Amino acid sequence: MANVIQVEQITKDYGSGKGVFDVSLEVKKGEVFGYLGPNGAGKTTTIRQLMGFIRPDKGFCKIQGMDCFSQSAQIQKSLGYLAGEIAFMDDMKGMEFLNFMADMKGMKDRSRIQELMHRFELDPRGKIRKMSKGMKQKIGIICAFMDHPEVLILDEPTSGLDPLMQNRFIELIQEEKKRGTTILMSSHLFEEVEKTCDRAAIIRDGRIVVVEDMIQLAKKKQKTYDVKLKDEQEAERLAQNTTLQIRGRRGRHVEIAVRQNIKEALRILNQYEMIDLDVKSQTLEEIFMHYYGNTDKIAEDKSNIKGR
Amino acid sequence: MISGTLLKRNIISCIKPFIIIFAVLCMYTTIIIYMFNPELADMLNEYQQALPDMMAAVGMEGVASSLLDWTKIYLYGFIMMLFPLIFIIIANHKLLMGYIDSGSMANLLATPNSRVKIIGTQLLSSGLMIILLIAATTGVGIISCQAMFPGELDIPRYLLLNASTCLLQLVISGIAFCAACVFSESKYYYSIGAGLPILFFLIQMVSNMGDKLKNLKYVTIYTLLPAEQIVAGESGHWEYELAMAVLAIVLYGAGAIYFTRRDMSV
Repeated sequence: MANVIQVEQITKDYGSGKGVFDVSLEVKKGEVFGYLGPNGAGKTTTIRQLMGFIRPDKGFCKIQGMDCFSQSAQIQKSLGYLAGEIAFMDDMKGMEFLNFMADMKGMKDRSRIQELMHRFELDPRGKIRKMSKGMKQKIGIICAFMDHPEVLILDEPTSGLDPLMQNRFIELIQEEKKRGTTILMSSHLFEEVEKTCDRAAIIRDGRIVVVEDMIQLAKKKQKTYDVKLKDEQEAERLAQNTTLQIRGRRGRHVEIAVRQNIKEALRILNQYEMIDLDVKSQTLEEIFMHYYGNTDKIAEDKSNIKGR
Repeated sequence: MISGTLLKRNIISCIKPFIIIFAVLCMYTTIIIYMFNPELADMLNEYQQALPDMMAAVGMEGVASSLLDWTKIYLYGFIMMLFPLIFIIIANHKLLMGYIDSGSMANLLATPNSRVKIIGTQLLSSGLMIILLIAATTGVGIISCQAMFPGELDIPRYLLLNASTCLLQLVISGIAFCAACVFSESKYYYSIGAGLPILFFLIQMVSNMGDKLKNLKYVTIYTLLPAEQIVAGESGHWEYELAMAVLAIVLYGAGAIYFTRRDMSV
């Protein structure tokens, strides 16, 4: 399959370690690609280069074979974009802005706008200036999707949306995926990417750490069970267990890393006097570290937990 | 290479300041023309004698021998310089700097319109609005003169004076437009794009005041307006007009070219 989005060793150095360095990635036709990274890792900087807002110092990026900076207008004909930091024409009303954007895109058929407004329960009356973050986000999503684009670039698309709307958004992405749309979406939430993407890249401090199949990535994902026990003695007894991967103990709490051995883990845990069990969702940092297995940093973390 | 949608949007976003500034200019133009009569002229001459520096600073100097002379002294020294300047600062911010500063430029760039088309539309809007402002005020001036003092105004020279003023305002607007193309934040636009013209304007006022300060006129572009020569009917001021036209084109053009190549973190 052809690469719709191609990023070749782009570097944009803003000094003092900020920017992106030697970033390369490809998104194939019809693929949903997640771009994961903590805040300030360089996700938006990469996306701005794809949008032709800024030019890379080194390297190049192409969308559908066209250069992202010099042929930006051509690329935009079949591209939908949602900015990470939303800024609209504040003096306009919601509907006025949507119509303005549709005119700027040269759109004739406006039925999709109505459909999307209905789907996201958007009331576009009132000035944009007075709208909440969530409402602006909905307008941004409608702008990105309204023209049936072939390529979608979405920068943290669900930020500001409530859980119900986040789910509607995920449904929308899944529909687009069926239609064969190529999607690149950035996020700092693993779960969001897990539900929608085929592959994902993790970026950290401006460098791509890993590009991985979602299935592979999910396999390597581990969960942390925070087990609360009857008393400290019982907790210490559990902490001494050798079958389980114990991450540490704090008072009556013991943290256990669980990968795919859930059944086994629960069977063993059943032998102890448990009071409560919490499943901690893994942070991006933890996934990233996990990818490299037991690196020094994880060992360090372990001793930190024990030391507390 | 113009976007009609964006042009329409530009007109809507600038219409309020345009109407306000135009109304102010209309008011001053009609009042000043209405005040043209020998008795008042004598009184204003007395003012000039009593407060020579003050009156000179705002360009109100000399004895008005004709209606054209009168408008030149009392309109084109101060009012027709200051109010269009205010409009220029507001309009170029609305047309360009505001979009870049707030990040809403991203919306425009994320449409199938090239940067050349976007900046071309903004450049045209900026230039046309200033031309329209001066042209409309000129119209009001001519109508007022014909209504109140039929046949007194030397219309060809009045038109020339306004055309020259328009060129001067386009140079000023060129500075603001160019600054908006180059900078990413409004504060720099205000300090250079607006600050520089305001500084020129203040220098012009100071240089009007006295002999020793007269040389200051060489550091302000307001000197480029050949008002004296036009009113006196002298020829040979075309160099000034040419210089202003070239400056305006260079400033607007350089800004637009820079815009098409720059990084925009929006």
